[in-house]
Amino acid sequence: MILTPKIVIRIALIGLLGVLLQLSFFSQVELFHVSPDILPALVVCLALLGGSLTGAVAGFSIGLFLDCLLVEALGVSSLVLLGVGYVAGLYRERFEIDNTLTPALLCMGLTLAAELGFGAIQLLIGIDAPVSLLIVRDLLLKSVYAFFLGWPIYVRRVLRPALVEEPKLRRRRQPRAMGV
Amino acid sequence: MYRKQVRRRRAVLALLVVGSFVLLTITYGQGSNGLQRGLSTIFSPVQGIADRALKPARDLVDWFDKTFDARGENSRLKSELAKVREKSVAGQEAMQENAQLRKLVKLDRDPVLAASAYQPVTARVIARSPTVWRSSVNIDVGSGGGVHVDDPVISGDGLVGRIASVEPNSAQVMLLTDHESAVTAKVVPAGAQGVVKPEVGNPEHLILDFIDSTKLVHGGQTVVTAGWRTQGYASLFPPGLPLGEVTKASIVDQEAKEQADVRPFADIANLDLVQVLTGGSRG
Repeated sequence: MILTPKIVIRIALIGLLGVLLQLSFFSQVELFHVSPDILPALVVCLALLGGSLTGAVAGFSIGLFLDCLLVEALGVSSLVLLGVGYVAGLYRERFEIDNTLTPALLCMGLTLAAELGFGAIQLLIGIDAPVSLLIVRDLLLKSVYAFFLGWPIYVRRVLRPALVEEPKLRRRRQPRAMGV
Repeated sequence: MYRKQVRRRRAVLALLVVGSFVLLTITYGQGSNGLQRGLSTIFSPVQGIADRALKPARDLVDWFDKTFDARGENSRLKSELAKVREKSVAGQEAMQENAQLRKLVKLDRDPVLAASAYQPVTARVIARSPTVWRSSVNIDVGSGGGVHVDDPVISGDGLVGRIASVEPNSAQVMLLTDHESAVTAKVVPAGAQGVVKPEVGNPEHLILDFIDSTKLVHGGQTVVTAGWRTQGYASLFPPGLPLGEVTKASIVDQEAKEQADVRPFADIANLDLVQVLTGGSRG
């Protein structure tokens, strides 16, 4: 992915839509008592298309926007999602993605890592109440949902046409025999 | 060239990490700031529209979720219905008696809200925190609708939480299940008082902590807000707002831990419409 101004605007719009969709839809529905979290999967897909720097910046910006809309302390989501974006981007830069399962598995693993990251920051800040074991179920289910969300976002290439400007192939004329 | 790129990448990463820590340090526990207020003002109408537009899709997903749950819920509801029938007979007698007594002391108004002169403002939930570690929702009414920080928030079933921060067109509600939440409560009719705290990650379980071990509490009793007032200080919640039902309180547990398990009346995980109790006198 080459970062042209057009592509940067598209990434910003995708991030904005992703956050709005998360807050207005995904956070408010429950499947087996757990709400899916699309944002780590979205950041992973952006990083897999754009690399570590794009992933880190996209993760930071999406996290900042999320914290602004939720009126939470700024920086928590940014820190977690920038880590997710950077790791996913590094993976793309260092390894060949030759398996269609890889991006979905990365979405799953990094969503789990993101949730654990949120937990670690919350514990550092201080949790004034006991933590239920049910949180383990929630974390695992969120990761499974991320697998299924990452699949259409990356594997079915929902984002790719918007973010990668592929050169249009010129049609070549068929060579004609002389005098025909 | 490659080394320069790597150095640049690391510099940007370091800058973003440091930026996140700086933001966290500056804004933690400070309420909303100018950036949040500005973005919230711009995006809360958009969130309101998105919330309404996506409601049919949400309802469809909820329908699937509830269908899975329905089988287990059916048998639980049958046993609950039997208990409620028994209680309703006793409740009707108590209400008759209550009405007569209220007339006697000229207090024939709503027992909870009217006595404290609260003005309920109805609001719709427009956003919810996506992580399992936070428990807050945003509503589409803010300071423009008369909402203030610390106003109690209720649903049709009982107390939900309180207003944590207010913007012109929206407000953030800290739910009962947030780790910072604590509500002084009492068990009726046992009279034991304590503090209702959450168990992080489980929206269907609250803990009634610091209860008096001499007053026996048992399953099925109702927990309501205590609402206290003393020398210039008052509880944020009026007395008598329903909170939940005691599910487990063995004598051994009560004596050893001075705790009881409570199931909240409000379906905190699936809030759609809530009421903010504005104005009124606290405690």
